[in-house]
Amino acid sequence: MKKVLLRELAFARSGDKGDVSDVGIMAKSKNIYDLLVKTLTPEKIKEHFKGMVKGDVEVYPMPNINSIEIVLRQALGGGATCTLRFDQTGKSMGQALLRLQVEADDSLVQEAEEVDASIRKRFGHK
Amino acid sequence: MKKVIIGSGSAYWGDMLEPALEMAERSDVQYIGFDHLAELTMAILNRMKAKNPESGYIQDIIPWMKKLLPVTVPKGIKMVTDAGGANPIQAALQVKKIIKDLNLGGMKIGVVYGDDILPYIDDIRSQGWQFKNLDTGEEDIDRIRENIVAANAYVGADLIIEELMNGADIVITGRVSDNALYVGPLMYEFGWDYSDKYINKIAAAVTIGHIIECSACVTGGMSNMWRVSERPWEIGFPIAEFYENGEAIITKTPGSGGIVNEWTVKEHLLYEIMDPTNYIMPDGVSDFTALQLTEDGQNRVKVTNMKGKKRPDTLKVCIGYRDGFIGEGLVFFPWPDALEKAIWTEKWIRERFKRLGLEFKELRIDYMGVNMLHGEAAPLEDKDMNEVGLRIAGRTKTWEEAEVIRREATHLWTMGPIGVSFGVPLNVRPVIALWPSLVPREVVRPQSEIMEVN
Repeated sequence: MKKVLLRELAFARSGDKGDVSDVGIMAKSKNIYDLLVKTLTPEKIKEHFKGMVKGDVEVYPMPNINSIEIVLRQALGGGATCTLRFDQTGKSMGQALLRLQVEADDSLVQEAEEVDASIRKRFGHK
Repeated sequence: MKKVIIGSGSAYWGDMLEPALEMAERSDVQYIGFDHLAELTMAILNRMKAKNPESGYIQDIIPWMKKLLPVTVPKGIKMVTDAGGANPIQAALQVKKIIKDLNLGGMKIGVVYGDDILPYIDDIRSQGWQFKNLDTGEEDIDRIRENIVAANAYVGADLIIEELMNGADIVITGRVSDNALYVGPLMYEFGWDYSDKYINKIAAAVTIGHIIECSACVTGGMSNMWRVSERPWEIGFPIAEFYENGEAIITKTPGSGGIVNEWTVKEHLLYEIMDPTNYIMPDGVSDFTALQLTEDGQNRVKVTNMKGKKRPDTLKVCIGYRDGFIGEGLVFFPWPDALEKAIWTEKWIRERFKRLGLEFKELRIDYMGVNMLHGEAAPLEDKDMNEVGLRIAGRTKTWEEAEVIRREATHLWTMGPIGVSFGVPLNVRPVIALWPSLVPREVVRPQSEIMEVN
């Protein structure tokens, strides 16, 4: 087991619906998904964002695509049209979550690296 | 098996034109959907229409149709667009004129409107309906009633289908759900209605509509695949091949740049959906936790096993209201001691506002390059940075108060730490806040008609 950043294990993308920041986490493998579904609890996520998320956090597992949908309520300073945040629609919130530290087996880290390598290879990158 | 090929030509007001044009030129799409309306857009368009009754639609429709129609008409590609905004009839008249000017022959334009519920919002309330705020839980709109500038319901595909049945070559709508621009043509082509028999088929159409409706966002835009996206400056927009059995292939314009793979489709499946087991659209409810994705060759992803539930009895309504002003100031500090200078300046500006007795609804100060995006979740480490910016933003009741924020920030040019740099001051802007709510489906009165071009 070692501590790694979530960015090693998953992809993320976020968007908005009013004052909700909506973060999708895509695990790089089924095994990683199984770990993340246990690790990414609403409490842990809310704590990670410190004061940025004022409301509740909901976590929705999507085992069919090894992904997790996270709903952060009252998380955008009132919503895109009235927020004082520069990132009005919270496009950077998903990236912020990738800073989270997760304890993972070396084998999972290796699986993630293999996925990254295969994506690069398939599209002709080194 | 019958299939329908449908593409996305636009995701917002100001989207890129070339990918839509290339899709029309190079692919075998039968339909292209164009969305131009974000949550705030209807409020802006309503205000334009209030000033000039002949405006209030997305004016991009004019240059776009001039380029697109000469390609789509000979190929028989039908277009469905919400560029009608707050004034679909006027938008349709403009398109009619273009068709005539370009000598494109006889055509039918379907026009869908009547999503504006503001004229009768008080009647709806007097019948006992409350417009509860879906974000905050506040029970009704009493507090903001005086300041409401727009209230539009997100209507479904019903009238898009009707106008396609009436032979429309182009359908121009007001505020329909973005999704309906895609669900409409699919339901029309396959002859589906809203009966229970077609629930999963419509859920599949809703899902596929969701996947493609944000144009480049599923073909390598806004993507974790940014490093491997091919010729991203020639990004192609997405195309769905939708089969009668409710399965579909997601791909993009042949020969275009960008990328479609398992990850880009997942990214968009997860995008702004809230509860994935209940993706609620006016035409149906999708459960995104049943479907399966399989890569099916380069830039092709197959989507199968899509399921869902019957369409809801309520429609989403987005109410826009005036809610004060925002004033902003920006200054930048160079090395050495860039972050320390920013921290010094934050204290300076806060003391100034205190001395002026300025009242804020909210004040926010960010260190650009340090914590402007990730806020409290970002570590505040002084790494002796090359440059740091300070962004001061405040929300106030009046324009005058917001102007003070802007003006005080400009004083930093002469009164701040050594090396302060600045650009062009930002203008004060009015705030239209949004109040998301629901309205019973049966009280909304959408209408449609065919406009003939001879």
